[in-house]
Amino acid sequence: MTELLIIGAGLTGLFAAALAVQRGAVVTLAAQGRGGLEISHGCIDIWGKTKNPSRSLTRLHNNHPYSRAGLESLRSALQFLDEITCAANYPLSGSISRNLHLPTANGALIQTALAPLSIAQGNLADVTPFALAALEPMRDFYPHLAAANLRQFGFDVQAVVDLPLPGAPEKRDAYTLDLAYLFDDAGWREEAVREWKPRLTGIKRLGLPAVIGFRHHHETFLDLQESLGVTLFEIPTLPPSLPGIRLERILRRRLQEKGVLLIEGSRAVGQVDGRSAGTRVSGAVLHTAGGPRLYAADVVLLATGGVLHGGLIHRQDGHVQESVFDLPVHYETGRVHWTSHSPIQIQPFSHFGLHVDDCMQPLGTDGCVLFENLFAAGGLIAGADRAIEGSRQGIDLATAFRAVEVALA
Amino acid sequence: MIQPRTTIDMCLKCNICTASCPVVAVTDLFLGPKAVGPQAQRFRHPRLPLPVDSVEWCSGCGTCSQVCPHGVAVAELNIQTKARLAEEHRIPLRDHLISRPELLGRIASPVAPIANYLLGMSLVRWIMEKSLGISRKAPLPNFARPPLRVRQADKCVDRPPNSRFNSQEVVAYFHGCYSNYYEPELGELAIAILERLGCQVILPPQVCCGLPLQSNGLFEASRAYANTNVAALFPFAEQGINIVGTSTSCTLSLKHDYRAILGLHGDQIDAVANATYDFFEFITTKHMDELENLSFTPVNARAYYHPPCHLRGHGIGAPALRVLQRIPALQVCLSESMCCGITGTYGMKSERHQVAYNVGESLFDEIRESQVDLIISDSETCRLWIEEYTGLPTYHPLEILARGMRLT
Repeated sequence: MTELLIIGAGLTGLFAAALAVQRGAVVTLAAQGRGGLEISHGCIDIWGKTKNPSRSLTRLHNNHPYSRAGLESLRSALQFLDEITCAANYPLSGSISRNLHLPTANGALIQTALAPLSIAQGNLADVTPFALAALEPMRDFYPHLAAANLRQFGFDVQAVVDLPLPGAPEKRDAYTLDLAYLFDDAGWREEAVREWKPRLTGIKRLGLPAVIGFRHHHETFLDLQESLGVTLFEIPTLPPSLPGIRLERILRRRLQEKGVLLIEGSRAVGQVDGRSAGTRVSGAVLHTAGGPRLYAADVVLLATGGVLHGGLIHRQDGHVQESVFDLPVHYETGRVHWTSHSPIQIQPFSHFGLHVDDCMQPLGTDGCVLFENLFAAGGLIAGADRAIEGSRQGIDLATAFRAVEVALA
Repeated sequence: MIQPRTTIDMCLKCNICTASCPVVAVTDLFLGPKAVGPQAQRFRHPRLPLPVDSVEWCSGCGTCSQVCPHGVAVAELNIQTKARLAEEHRIPLRDHLISRPELLGRIASPVAPIANYLLGMSLVRWIMEKSLGISRKAPLPNFARPPLRVRQADKCVDRPPNSRFNSQEVVAYFHGCYSNYYEPELGELAIAILERLGCQVILPPQVCCGLPLQSNGLFEASRAYANTNVAALFPFAEQGINIVGTSTSCTLSLKHDYRAILGLHGDQIDAVANATYDFFEFITTKHMDELENLSFTPVNARAYYHPPCHLRGHGIGAPALRVLQRIPALQVCLSESMCCGITGTYGMKSERHQVAYNVGESLFDEIRESQVDLIISDSETCRLWIEEYTGLPTYHPLEILARGMRLT
């Protein structure tokens, strides 16, 4: 049995661990903290720039992570993700060949390929007029601004409805999780429905911030929708972002059940195997509470993310480092070349990262594989501007799938 | 050494800590780890009173620091602030009492049957609640006699043995107050398992780890214990002898809290921290080959495993699971990563008891739904608390391992 050490607990790491343990590996997943999934919108962006991701992806340059991993990896990854989410009763809707058109918390528009049903029902391709809910204790959601912006785009926002939340925290601002716990409670939902119904006459479709239930979200959502008699949809919010947290807990739970050793809170420093003349890695030293402890492994997969997530360290002296093995990073020297003049232009730093081959193995400056048992996946890989492309989760899944497939072959 | 307050600038306000905090989930009296920590710190002056009291609701479980992706010492900062707040107010007599399990053990252990009988009387508990503020609903541990150090007097040593003539690996057992005064049988089983794995076990000089004092804001008294332990244990660590503990909270103090919260620093504490291992961390990293060669007897049970927050603070995962998975016929259900609520002495206080109970409620529900025969957890206070509110027997994972190894 292959012993696999994965570093990083974002979507890439969690998904890779789920796949690897399914294929019989003994998996240890180590991370310094929770990954980016907890602050994400919980949807699967594959290619947000066009209407049809699967068509656009065939036209990418050779060094794009999608091209490296191959579209077959993306399809297989999505199929496995579907198995995981369906088994947890959290089905994702949408398709790789037609993006969903969704409103954000301030009424901007985004395109994503897959979303949980509760979010997918907000697809603006559906022209049914809708109202937005204003939940008084919730400060991180802006229904009036969102309505104004959506109307400017030509969407028919009927009204902004004030909906009371009995039992919401009074001594402090409500976090999204406070409200989600309220929705989890069937008795509380009955009470809310009684108060809400009269305020929703004439409304067929209603958008709410994404707070409808946490532990049994899907059942809760369907139950609330049925009792209100209104089509509901959720709009992802600022962190804590429930849709991201729900997906994260589903993956984490699965790993626990399948026997993955989850190590949280320890920084990893990669170890090269001294007996291999520098051709192999032997695992990583984890800086645990007590001190450095070596975790040996047959294969190491880096899923540490890019600049926003700790996989790449941008130093004050103008150099960019990979954080675990200090691998060669593709970047522009000098801090003046990292950012554009305007924050809304394409940022050069988002293209920085590792060069990998078609097997997801990091390459040296000479273009050769650095270590025969080291792999990388997700945001650490160079060649994509994931924010502009709307390709973040798709790249995570496709490259994680490809890396695990090769690593365990 | 990094001061927790200097890490606040790394906080991005992502709220990942808030989303994982077990206390903020059940009460709006607590503003959340980020709000009372890296955020509120900007409004605190070293010589002026603290502007907001909400941090007193922090239970000190440490989850926030665990989940922080940016290395902010949220829990450490909040525990330090809590101590400052306690100093500003007067620390009640109750807190001085419940934070000294060693003193209580030394007094009560010789008269254990009488002490246990009295503490089992509801009238006594009622009086304790009214006069001291110790919740009568909170479970308290039973005293035992004689203590482990008396039972295993031949293993007590003052200094490391001369290892030149010894081919066996020597292990220094940090039993803590619990295995000494409250459940010495657990300590005896730990010793038996280590011996079966080929180690020679000794009991080095030691006092209470000081964690209860620290979490009650009594930093000076806690530091005195810490310094005593470091001075006593350093000669062992220096000789390359590993210090192994069965209480995840004591070992976390030695590894982490002495340095990160109490501010101890220097080569001695670094050596002690580095040599300290959780029991299952030790046997899975140093003796996995011996474990793999053992043939286990089946343990026919459906068990629920609860990883204590203070174990997660070690940053080593839950190594006991790797061992429990090897025991035939044992079915292990896993806990969502949740806190049981007691967090040391937090749940014993009458003004905190309800919040502590509410923290654990979803865990208790989950345990009831999973229809298990028994519960496994590495921490003594978690076991006490979960047993009280689920009515199911609880065990340290090493007790289950000992059964599998036919040691009981």
